[in-house]
Amino acid sequence: MTGERVLMRNVGRPEARTVRGYREGGGYDALAKALRLQPEEVIEEVKRSGLRGRGGAGFPCGSKWSFVPRQSPKPKYIVCNADESEPGTFKDRLLMEHDPHQLIEGCIIAGWAVGANTTYIYIRGEYTKATRILEDAVRDAYDSGILGSNVMSSGFRHDIIVHRGAGAYICGEETGMLESLEGKRGQPRVKPPFPALVGAFGCPTVINNVETLCCATHILLRGADWFKAIGTDERNTGPKLYAISGHVERPGTYEYPLGVTFQQLLDGCGGMYRGRELKAFIPGGASAPIMLAADREIRMDFDTLAKAGSMLGSAAVIVMDETTCMVRAISRLARFFAHESCGQCTPCREGTHWMEILLHRIESGHGSEADLDLLARVVPNVGGISLCALGDAAQGPVRSLVQKFGDEIRANIRAGRYPMPLQRHFDQGAAA
Amino acid sequence: MPTLTIDGRTVEVAAGTNLIEAGLKVGVQIPHYCYHPRLSVVGQCRMCMVEIEGMGKLQAACSTQVMKDGMVVRTNSTSADEAQRAIMEFLLINHPLDCPICDQAGECGLQDYSYKHGQSFSRFRFDEKRTYPEKERIPLGPTVMLNMNRCIQCTRCVRFTEEIAKTSELGFFERGAHAEIGTFPGKPLDNPLSTCVVDICPVGALTSTRFRFAERVWYLDKKPSICTGCDAGCNITLEHKAGSIKRYKPRQNPEVNDFWMCDYGRSTHERYRDLPRLAFPQIRRNQALQATGWKEAIDHLAHNLRSRRTEGAIAFLGSGFLSTEEAFLLTKLATAVDSPHRSIWVDSGPTRHIPNLQGGITGHDAAPNRRGAELAGLIPAPGALASEDLLLEGAAAQCGALFVADSDFGRAANDAKVVERLREARFLAVMGWADTLLARAADVILPVATHAERAGTFVNSAGRIQRFERAFPAPPQVRPAVEVLADLLSRFDTKWSTVTPATVFDLMAEEVGAFSGLRYREIAAEGTRLSGLSDGRPPAATDSAAARPAGPGT
Repeated sequence: MTGERVLMRNVGRPEARTVRGYREGGGYDALAKALRLQPEEVIEEVKRSGLRGRGGAGFPCGSKWSFVPRQSPKPKYIVCNADESEPGTFKDRLLMEHDPHQLIEGCIIAGWAVGANTTYIYIRGEYTKATRILEDAVRDAYDSGILGSNVMSSGFRHDIIVHRGAGAYICGEETGMLESLEGKRGQPRVKPPFPALVGAFGCPTVINNVETLCCATHILLRGADWFKAIGTDERNTGPKLYAISGHVERPGTYEYPLGVTFQQLLDGCGGMYRGRELKAFIPGGASAPIMLAADREIRMDFDTLAKAGSMLGSAAVIVMDETTCMVRAISRLARFFAHESCGQCTPCREGTHWMEILLHRIESGHGSEADLDLLARVVPNVGGISLCALGDAAQGPVRSLVQKFGDEIRANIRAGRYPMPLQRHFDQGAAA
Repeated sequence: MPTLTIDGRTVEVAAGTNLIEAGLKVGVQIPHYCYHPRLSVVGQCRMCMVEIEGMGKLQAACSTQVMKDGMVVRTNSTSADEAQRAIMEFLLINHPLDCPICDQAGECGLQDYSYKHGQSFSRFRFDEKRTYPEKERIPLGPTVMLNMNRCIQCTRCVRFTEEIAKTSELGFFERGAHAEIGTFPGKPLDNPLSTCVVDICPVGALTSTRFRFAERVWYLDKKPSICTGCDAGCNITLEHKAGSIKRYKPRQNPEVNDFWMCDYGRSTHERYRDLPRLAFPQIRRNQALQATGWKEAIDHLAHNLRSRRTEGAIAFLGSGFLSTEEAFLLTKLATAVDSPHRSIWVDSGPTRHIPNLQGGITGHDAAPNRRGAELAGLIPAPGALASEDLLLEGAAAQCGALFVADSDFGRAANDAKVVERLREARFLAVMGWADTLLARAADVILPVATHAERAGTFVNSAGRIQRFERAFPAPPQVRPAVEVLADLLSRFDTKWSTVTPATVFDLMAEEVGAFSGLRYREIAAEGTRLSGLSDGRPPAATDSAAARPAGPGT
């Protein structure tokens, strides 16, 4: 761990789950400060900080807030996207389980900034522990006058409703989430109109990731200039949580300044598992194209990874060592996307399924070179023309597999065998 | 209004128009499945991807609105074409391609776009396609059959039940490649408009239980017509093969039924198949009906209309199934024999509502043309014998002759009690197409053309006059009622020797205020709203539907 822990300052302080314990650590000072500012000033501060959305798309948070009309005959809503379900991603769970008030504070600040009196926290259904902690924290906040009709005696009203999802990845897509929140089948809406104008229940809505809202808390407390000073450049600012999994010695959630290199991340979690060789890594969750071991010095920020043909996404780093069968790894991801496709739009519904069965055929040793060529031709059709980003997400890893590991797969297809033997690394590790 | 360019053609459209509609204005057809002009835009099928100058990615034409000047759209650029090909491929890899046994073949969106955007080989080399086992024949309700294997998940049907029928029987279930449409447990698709989902289904997933396997669609002759199920006046396409009607489909008229029609209306052609037909003129001789020729039958009727005046009233009873022109000629006939006893009988039907953009059109009667017949003059003068008197009160006993101009004017035509009452007239003439109890009681029978075998006009419940065309000729011994009535009139006044619906209408327009200024050939394709009429009930029948006496035999 290098540098100061900002977002994770209360990890390991169980007392921070109560309003009292949270305030002892300087909690809710940011909210008090925000409430003394005009909403426009709050938005301006967030804009100046260069905070980009931590959910995956990296959209500038301040701009998103400013798109919501100031004057609206309809109520406005904040929806916190806590439906963290991208394979490999587990950073928001940590924030909610260890520091629920940091999120609540961020929600109220966002509400004050855009003039919304209600926040819905749409939390992944499987996060039962986080839900319980969050609900307790919300109740505590109401009892302490942090939430309710008179937030910190300012006269501002704000309510938070914790809403549990029912286990669909697609409900993490912002408009799919809104549909689900409204009690409908969770499937993305056609955009425009964008949620800033027509969102939850047809009203202007801001949708932010958990980590984004937590960052907003610190920007208000310590200023945009402090936030901007952290990170690679003015487009990639602030502290960032990296969820590291796979073949490393100590997988987990780590906080670094945005733009740390992959090698630093790797070193931070104790290096490769049992000292094996790095083969590849996925830098930003299941939908990010694979990077090779040669890319290990790359800066893990939005723009550098985008330039390299991948993406930071949710900063869920999946590390794969030399024993990994890439076909199986990506085949598993393809199965995930085929399973989670909502099925409404043609390229994603049919394309993810086609990719899944093609990869399965190759993986099971029955593939042909034609299958690989076909994969190369079909995959691009899945992305770009789908209704929501799931189609794009699904084709990212598969496309990079074909591009970067084509020779490996071809050799195995020619040999007519299973691409790589099944290895039970972790069993071996446990036995050792 | 913003101007845009589509495939090099410039067009000005209202702000907010989507690209599919804008393209249609200049003859550019952008392929689409899920888009329907009356349903919400969901952008699901992704078939309508087009290239827009200045935008990095392809855009769905259905969900792209023209908001400001200068948009440049290409529907046939390399990238748009590739996207359309990709979607066609995706839609077909798991499609059963069972066109030879599919009802939709010939009018199928997949077939049509395959020619333009598809490819003739498959890259999907797997032994088995994704199927929905046991879901090839799911009756969604009494009228609609679902074959899930053919479905392309466009959800038009789901949106129809939610947004147009407002009954929400259909839902979208499961996810991904297993996504399917269906009904909720215990809630069949049985709303009055349910068969419309078959019309809007772009593929053969939803088929009509009424039309399934009845005919290959390319053998059908199609003619524009008007539904006779009620007085809403839904515009239909009458589809027949050699004079045998196979189905009615709604024909778009934004002023009336828009894209829709009710299930009952679709079933109304079955009466022509199920009821026995009058095939030749007949005259009662020595208690028995005997076949005769037309001249003899008409002479016989004319003679009786003239001579029976001394025995009692000469009454004329029409129905709401008469065309406006026929009703007018019947009025003329009554005038020719100086009879004030002219009226129509119309069963009141269940209220039928067809939604359109103006809120909808409602039919109250069980016949299409009460208003037209009444405007044409079939209204009893005060004190004259009205249809209620004849059917319900036994007033026929006062009649020297009774001419019923519709053998199938409603339930009463097969009601023994009513027929007995009408038979009280000294002389009973029946004109019509169906061999009903009433026809068999007549002294003279004049067989005339059905709705499909003649042309004319109907005036619907909202006072809109609409033309319908002859779809196919009547059987040899059967003549259109307009000809028969004119023939009959010529026995009283020679100017009536030869007429057509058009000439009768134009004559009527000169005499009847409601039609003044109209000419038959100039009645607009979507019909013409008659000016000076109240919406809803016709002026002559100010009482509500409930206040009218219920039809006999109900």
